[in-house]
Amino acid sequence: MNISGDVAGQSVVAAARRVLTSPWLRPLNDADALDGLLALANPLWSIRALRAEVVRVIEETRDTRTLVLRPNWRWDGFVAGQHVCVEVDIEGVRYQRTYSLSSRPGEPTIAVTVKRHPGGRVSNFLHDTVRLGHVLALSRASGRFVLADPLPARLLMISAGSGITPIMSILRDVHARHRRSDVVLVHSCRTPEDAIFRRELIALAREWPALRLAFVFTAETGRLDRKRLVRLVPDWAERTSFLCGPAPFMDVVRSMWRGAGVEGRLCWESFTGAVATCRPGAGRTATVTCARSGAVFRAAPDCPLLVEAERTGLRPPHGCRMGICHTCLCRKVSGTVENLVTGAVSSEPNTMIQICVCAARSDLTLAL
Amino acid sequence: MPSVALPLSRSDVDAIEAELDQLRAEIAADLGERDAHHIRRMIRLAELSAIAGRTLLMVGIDPLSWGVGVTALASAKILENMEIGHNVMHGQYDWMNDPALCSQTYEWDIVCDGDQWRHSHNILHHTHTNIVGRDRDVGYGFLRLSDAQPWRPRHLFQPAVSVLLALLFEWGVALHDSELDEWMDGNRSRAEVEARLKPFLRKAARQVFKDYVLFPALALGNAPRVFAGNLAANLVRNLWSYVVIFCGHFPDGVRTYTVDETRDETRGDWYVRQILGSCNIDGGTLLHVLSGHLSHQIEHHLFPDLPASRYPELAPRVRALCARYGLAYNTGTLWGQFATVVRRIVRLALPAAVQPAFA
Repeated sequence: MNISGDVAGQSVVAAARRVLTSPWLRPLNDADALDGLLALANPLWSIRALRAEVVRVIEETRDTRTLVLRPNWRWDGFVAGQHVCVEVDIEGVRYQRTYSLSSRPGEPTIAVTVKRHPGGRVSNFLHDTVRLGHVLALSRASGRFVLADPLPARLLMISAGSGITPIMSILRDVHARHRRSDVVLVHSCRTPEDAIFRRELIALAREWPALRLAFVFTAETGRLDRKRLVRLVPDWAERTSFLCGPAPFMDVVRSMWRGAGVEGRLCWESFTGAVATCRPGAGRTATVTCARSGAVFRAAPDCPLLVEAERTGLRPPHGCRMGICHTCLCRKVSGTVENLVTGAVSSEPNTMIQICVCAARSDLTLAL
Repeated sequence: MPSVALPLSRSDVDAIEAELDQLRAEIAADLGERDAHHIRRMIRLAELSAIAGRTLLMVGIDPLSWGVGVTALASAKILENMEIGHNVMHGQYDWMNDPALCSQTYEWDIVCDGDQWRHSHNILHHTHTNIVGRDRDVGYGFLRLSDAQPWRPRHLFQPAVSVLLALLFEWGVALHDSELDEWMDGNRSRAEVEARLKPFLRKAARQVFKDYVLFPALALGNAPRVFAGNLAANLVRNLWSYVVIFCGHFPDGVRTYTVDETRDETRGDWYVRQILGSCNIDGGTLLHVLSGHLSHQIEHHLFPDLPASRYPELAPRVRALCARYGLAYNTGTLWGQFATVVRRIVRLALPAAVQPAFA
């Protein structure tokens, strides 16, 4: 293997990229402008932007639909269980939301399955306005809610509500690649009519004996609790498990695994767990100085800097507000912050931080 | 047209403040698809016009295509600088949450560095509009455009200096935030000036490279034609933006303020100052768009971060408010307004004692 050749190749690519993106070549290399002009010809065409066309819409339940998307050449694939950030313009305003991919990797199309949230701007838009042929902007796939390689022999999937979406992708992947695995799916939802992918799951289980389905319909039998889960899956503690659903549901399951000391076998995914609103905190309130605008504001220790900045009338760029899309990336000139999602503490000066999930742990200066 | 407003009572000013705040809230609540469509359409139009212009300059050999090329490129630069750049950098489209339209990172096609513009224009000029000694746009540090500015012998040359400024307008704009006059007057150290010149030099070098090296070089044998075309397009843009911008605050009837007068201003007082310190230009949609809606300078100064394409619909309501409170709403035709600007430049070149009677 020619490692020095690889390094040389990489540096050639890096040098070429530097030349091609050099500000001295503007406007010839203005990718925004070129993308805008290409989009006039075909909304899917783009040099840099990842966009996808809606090629099929599947109504899954009365409040959930799947959008099957054909991405443009910028798409570089995903691993089952990962999510993408979907970007839409509603009334002129750009919004971003993260959705798990529900399709099987390796297909030419990808799919997101979206549940309509009462009052949810983006989910309602995706239900009411998006039609066949609509082009959406996407981010690349990311996320660590994925299967290990090699595949564990025994799997347990636990989901509630729309938490089924990444799990469906994983099931489809396992079915296509490792049919001999022993897989149990425990899915909880209100009624049989609310069970997303129900018919498809039943059909899948019929032709794939290694898959065992257990639906829990809470309107009929109450919420899934420890006792019920043990009865449904006696060997739960020995299985490699995947969990996705609303936070209270996940808390119950996670405490069970924690209690048994097997939390390492549980992989869980939360889209709503990030701190998007302020919780009252006991710690010290910090002073944040904005180097660019000259504004100064106070920041509570449990409140994301973005929220505090907006309260004072600043409008920093932002996207998902949950630490995924990195749109709110902002240079921290000095001070210490804690990422409320990951718990990572950063004290390094001149570091890029995501202000939508970072809270002040000391007085700060931000390049806002 | 009365040049000075009737005296306003405190309650009048408070009422004006409430009315204008209400007007602003109304438009802000109505922002949406239409505004997003407008700015994106302008961007595409400017890009297509630039491509057409540069292509014609590059591939043509006849004078006609040169003239059309220059017109297209100049229009592109005017659109980009005035209707797009100036307005985007004001934050008029920040509500769209589109990084390409972010006020703080947008960089325009002119030798003036975006950050320096944001400082000298958005902060200094729009906050301290027409306060002599605070607003550096009153004469830009070297012209005498208000009676309140003391006369100096160098002002004798200001008619000629103004012509030069018109021809080189983008360079004047670019150097504005470096505050060289402050250095020459001994108020700034050399190091401070050098620090302020750095962003200017970086931006200017790229612009000069683009228009006078890169594009001519790409045209190979046609390089001189492209060089001359780019020079002409920049010149046209300079002259046009000079005329529009000088019509904004320097025609007859505009008020300037002293620092003392504005010490304890309320937001309502600030609104009144913006109205009395700004002048509009009458005209149709084409004039409005090509001036970046600075033809509605009064509305722009009242609401600098509302999308400029909304100013025409705001104008009748602002004008009606002015009529109700006896505030001068200064407007006129482009050349009518500009004539009074020229007269002022000439008049104020001379000390008060010997000024001609025509003013």
